[in-house]
Amino acid sequence: MLKIEGLTKYYGKTLGVKDLSLELKKGEVFGFIGPNGAGKSTTIRSIMNLINKNAGKVYIDGEEFTKKNYKLKEKIGYLPSEIHLYEDMKVKELFNLHAKFYKKDTLKRRRELVKLLNVRENIKISKLSLGNKKKVAMVLALMHDPELLILDEPTSGLDPVVQHTFYMLVADLKKRGTTILYSSHILPEIERLCDRVGIIKDGALINVEKIKDLKSKNLSYVSVYSKSIIDIANELELNEYMVDQNMLRFKVTGNYDNLIKVISKYKIDKILIEEANLEELFLHYYE
Amino acid sequence: MLKREFRINFRSFCIWLFILVGIFALVYLMYPSITNSENSEMLNEVLKAFPEDLLVAFNMDITDISDSFGWLKSEGYIFILLITGAYAAIMGANIALKEESDMTIEYLYSLPISRNKILTNKIICGLTYVILLVFCIGVFNLICLFLSGTFDIKVFLLLSIAPIFTSIVTFLLCLFLSTFTHKTKNMLGISLGIVFISYFLQIVSNIAEQFEFLKYLSIFTLADTRNIILNGTINSIIIIISVIISLVLLICTYINYNRKELI
Repeated sequence: MLKIEGLTKYYGKTLGVKDLSLELKKGEVFGFIGPNGAGKSTTIRSIMNLINKNAGKVYIDGEEFTKKNYKLKEKIGYLPSEIHLYEDMKVKELFNLHAKFYKKDTLKRRRELVKLLNVRENIKISKLSLGNKKKVAMVLALMHDPELLILDEPTSGLDPVVQHTFYMLVADLKKRGTTILYSSHILPEIERLCDRVGIIKDGALINVEKIKDLKSKNLSYVSVYSKSIIDIANELELNEYMVDQNMLRFKVTGNYDNLIKVISKYKIDKILIEEANLEELFLHYYE
Repeated sequence: MLKREFRINFRSFCIWLFILVGIFALVYLMYPSITNSENSEMLNEVLKAFPEDLLVAFNMDITDISDSFGWLKSEGYIFILLITGAYAAIMGANIALKEESDMTIEYLYSLPISRNKILTNKIICGLTYVILLVFCIGVFNLICLFLSGTFDIKVFLLLSIAPIFTSIVTFLLCLFLSTFTHKTKNMLGISLGIVFISYFLQIVSNIAEQFEFLKYLSIFTLADTRNIILNGTINSIIIIISVIISLVLLICTYINYNRKELI
């Protein structure tokens, strides 16, 4: 559905993204994660032709997407990270204007989305809070039922209730077969919604993995409560660990045999073994 | 989209038209009392004291300002050129750039519409309002002159048409320059500067022979005022030059607007 080949973007001499290639299959929800300034927004803005690429091509449904091939945008829904809409208009006026750019009938879907997100249509956009503007932008991105949805930090500025509704909406879109590029630095939501994840750092895509593969790397956090924690740490030959009074906390990847053998020699007050979440996995492997 | 462009720019058009019509209405109301027989002699005495070059600068050497039409040909016409020029400059500077300044451009560019179409809508709207302002003040002057006495209709019509050339070129020049920046506040000073520096250059080139070449740097040269008043014609070369400059600016604007990237 979306294919990026060798995307490169420099801002003067400063690198934005270098030689980034990526392919999203139809109906896939792809998480795009990385720290601030890693190149997520540059990639998205290059895909949308908002900025000029130094090199590389973007294809949508096999067709090259350029500024001239603007009709392909009928297939795309785009939710930018910062929402700026026509403040002089009422919400319904903007929805009506938006609908005129698309050949298909958008009214039914618009009504569904307005109801689901509880959007007030008869109010001026300038009177809306940041969260409500984001909800309006969501309706705009979705009301023409796009085949490809590009979301840049979609939940920033939303309260937890709307966030939850949004997650349900994304899950529903996934069922409908919408392909979604989901850029975020909030890893739990990527873990919850996405099939695959691409990790971008310093302008380069350093890895693409399936969420379940990343989770199967078997990283766990072990917390041992004992009076002999220093001896345990020494015997386990730990490089990285944290000590707090009688508690020792450290990471374990895969091999638990040695851990059990060592701690069985000591008197243990309490032991906790927690599976790492995506955020912890991300920090462990890519920082 | 075009309808929206017209709607959002309508208010500023009304304000500019109100200012322009207001100034002229005041003059037409007051001018008969200023130029009654007693004051007329005094006015002529005052004008005689003016340096010749200054009279040339305001076309007062070739017009008789003892009636409303005379005033229109000299000072009135300068007002029209300056105010319509300033409106065209601000309109040109703002019309495309405002989307960037307000950051609504990211939304607009995400829609299935070409950049050429976006720009064309804005140019159609801008040019319509600029020409409409010149047209409206022309109609207002025509009505007032009919009511206030006799006047040379041919010279009047040519003088009323001429600001269209300067306004269109000013609009397109400022629009073109706006494609190099991202903020309207950067362009406001530049656009008004172009109008007032152009006018200043025109005055200097009229006053001092050694600076006559400066008229080639002034947009107001395209108005061809003195020729209209003296000969009752518009120099066809001026029209051709205006059209060529406009087309070059238009093409360059489209090229640059399509290349432009958002910050």
